[in-house]
Amino acid sequence: MILVSPAFALVAVFVLFPLGFAVYISLTDWPLIGPYHFIGGANYSELIHDPGFVHSVLFTLIYTAIVTGPILVVGYAMAVLVRANRRGAVFFRTAFFLPFIVGLATESFMLLLELQPDSGAADYVLSKLGLAHENTAWTVQYNLALTAICVFVIWFASGLTMMILMAGMQGIPRELYEASEVDGATWWQKERRITLPLLRRNIALALIISVIGSFLAFNQFYILTEGGPGTSTQPVVMWIYEEAFVQYHLGYATAGAIALVIVVGIISAAQFYLLRDDRAVKR
Amino acid sequence: MKLLLNRQVLAGAAVVTLLSVVGCASSGPAASSAPSGSTFGVNATGTVQFWARTVSKTLAQKLVSEFNATHKNLQVKLTLTSINDDVTSLATSIRAGDPPDVVGLNDIDVPAFTKTGSFLDLTSAIDKLPYKQDLSPGHMGLAAYNGKQYGVPYWGDFSVLWYNKNLFKEAGLNPNDPPTTYAQILSDAQAINKLGHGVNGFTFAGDCQGCLGFTVQPGIWADGSHLTNGGISNQTANIAGNTALEKALTLYREIWTQHLAPDNDRTDDGTTWGEDFVAGKIGIMPGGYGQVVDLAKPSQLGSELMDSPLPGSNGGYSTFDGGDDFVIPAAAKNPSGAWEFIQWVLQTAQQDQYPNLGATPIRTDVLTPAFSAAHPLDAVPLKALAQGYAPPTLVYDQMFNQAGGPWFQMFTTAVYDGNMTLALQQGQSGLSRLLQQATQ
Repeated sequence: MILVSPAFALVAVFVLFPLGFAVYISLTDWPLIGPYHFIGGANYSELIHDPGFVHSVLFTLIYTAIVTGPILVVGYAMAVLVRANRRGAVFFRTAFFLPFIVGLATESFMLLLELQPDSGAADYVLSKLGLAHENTAWTVQYNLALTAICVFVIWFASGLTMMILMAGMQGIPRELYEASEVDGATWWQKERRITLPLLRRNIALALIISVIGSFLAFNQFYILTEGGPGTSTQPVVMWIYEEAFVQYHLGYATAGAIALVIVVGIISAAQFYLLRDDRAVKR
Repeated sequence: MKLLLNRQVLAGAAVVTLLSVVGCASSGPAASSAPSGSTFGVNATGTVQFWARTVSKTLAQKLVSEFNATHKNLQVKLTLTSINDDVTSLATSIRAGDPPDVVGLNDIDVPAFTKTGSFLDLTSAIDKLPYKQDLSPGHMGLAAYNGKQYGVPYWGDFSVLWYNKNLFKEAGLNPNDPPTTYAQILSDAQAINKLGHGVNGFTFAGDCQGCLGFTVQPGIWADGSHLTNGGISNQTANIAGNTALEKALTLYREIWTQHLAPDNDRTDDGTTWGEDFVAGKIGIMPGGYGQVVDLAKPSQLGSELMDSPLPGSNGGYSTFDGGDDFVIPAAAKNPSGAWEFIQWVLQTAQQDQYPNLGATPIRTDVLTPAFSAAHPLDAVPLKALAQGYAPPTLVYDQMFNQAGGPWFQMFTTAVYDGNMTLALQQGQSGLSRLLQQATQ
């Protein structure tokens, strides 16, 4: 008990107390300044009926549903390409992981410039390929903005998934593949019967990080669309931010933040459960 | 893990800031008045903690440096605050009972604090200023509440109409006759647009809500109208049937449909606003005075790029009284020292330095023939200052500065979609909803 007490104290001070205090704030009408009043669960019942909040949650779910699969698939494909220590592997690993290293905010600003009609590279290249009009306004139309951001995020986040899966792949004993080759297994059979089952925990980790990241998406939307047009591309974290720091409804915004914590917690727990490794549990 | 961390940074920072904002005290301060005695703001001693936004960094640093050099018994210590969290930082310090002594606060944010009695009532001290009537009316209006005055102007960020004299000449227009009506803006822009070779007659930041509020509203004010009616505690929307607003939106609709502005203006969120103008590709640009002064080469100013007041539909002019107000928190430890510093800044000797520090003075009586001769470009917003305005409301950001706010929704529907009737309906209902929420 004594050995864990420092860790417990840190968790209590930096996690439990702020979380508990946030729960308390969410039960008040805390304004930017001035007196506040305890209002019980009124903020939470208002949240359920707030079309802005509901829309932002639904939009976040749609966004998460769109990007999660492609991030995993693209990340897996890249991991397959670079897992072996053949010539050029280090270069490609670096190249695939680089977008993640540079950072989402920086790249969002770069993309904002490249998506400008007339002057951006995106319209120029896509119009040459016959895929878009040369003056396409990507960031001010819902479908186009969502498409651009999803493609961008898949490009950005696949590198991390690649690293997680590649580490898992390199940890699989070579003997298993050699034995299967002796038995005449094809590449696809080895992938399906050996690699995928043994990567279960790595895939679970990659998925959980990806889904939580999508639920907490903010930078790319804030920089590229500011939630627009209107509030059509406003994810839930941006809704919380604007309620707290633009509208100054701090109690109400905190209720939204607590609701988000609960939703993310439930989804993460469900993912852990669904992707659990029974053999690991037995050990 | 960086994916998670990256995305959590802002969310986490928001939660931490949110907690820090609310985590110190349970109620707001009681309103208090500045002492009415003759010693208030005279020969004060000690230290004055001064918080200024980073946008006024150059000005603030110079003023503080000069003040400290000439006031050995009273020293000002400057702290620069980020423009993104200056309001929450100030609220946190007030809740904690440890605010600075004087703050340069964005003037549109002042009403949210005056309503809660967070600032010192400076009415009696301001009444003694011999130049009280010359102070920027918009700044003063935003610091007034229930007949009392809680602040005075600090510096001005005013909107003007910029134009390119070379392109005017090239298009056969008189470079010394900038547009003074909407019809002239349109005809001049059309003439310049015909020049071709990548030149456009007009430009605006079409996806920047704040920029549009800053530059479109003065035309409406010049026509004698406002978008809200009443004081901040009982405001109503004034959109439906507002012909001045309709004329302003129609002007931008015409500019857009006639392709007088670059296509990428539609997506300009302010990041690149004005770059094409200083590059010599634009004839007319409503914008900030300081914005173009910062972007352009000194050699361009006056010779190539010139400013004039933002006109109304048929003559008249106005400007958005942006910038900051000086306020003294009610719990300030050295309010007398703060007021002494403020009075010193407001003196003409200091005001005359503003143009060289990238700012516009906030006293109309500074506009003398000598000032106009020395600073012809800065004389334009200073002249417009007397007709300037800034909407005193508790919900300016929500109404005018948000992508999902009613102002931008109305602008988008009217200008890009061409549906004026629906636009005005959206504006009326959107502004009404926010004003009702604010006054509940």
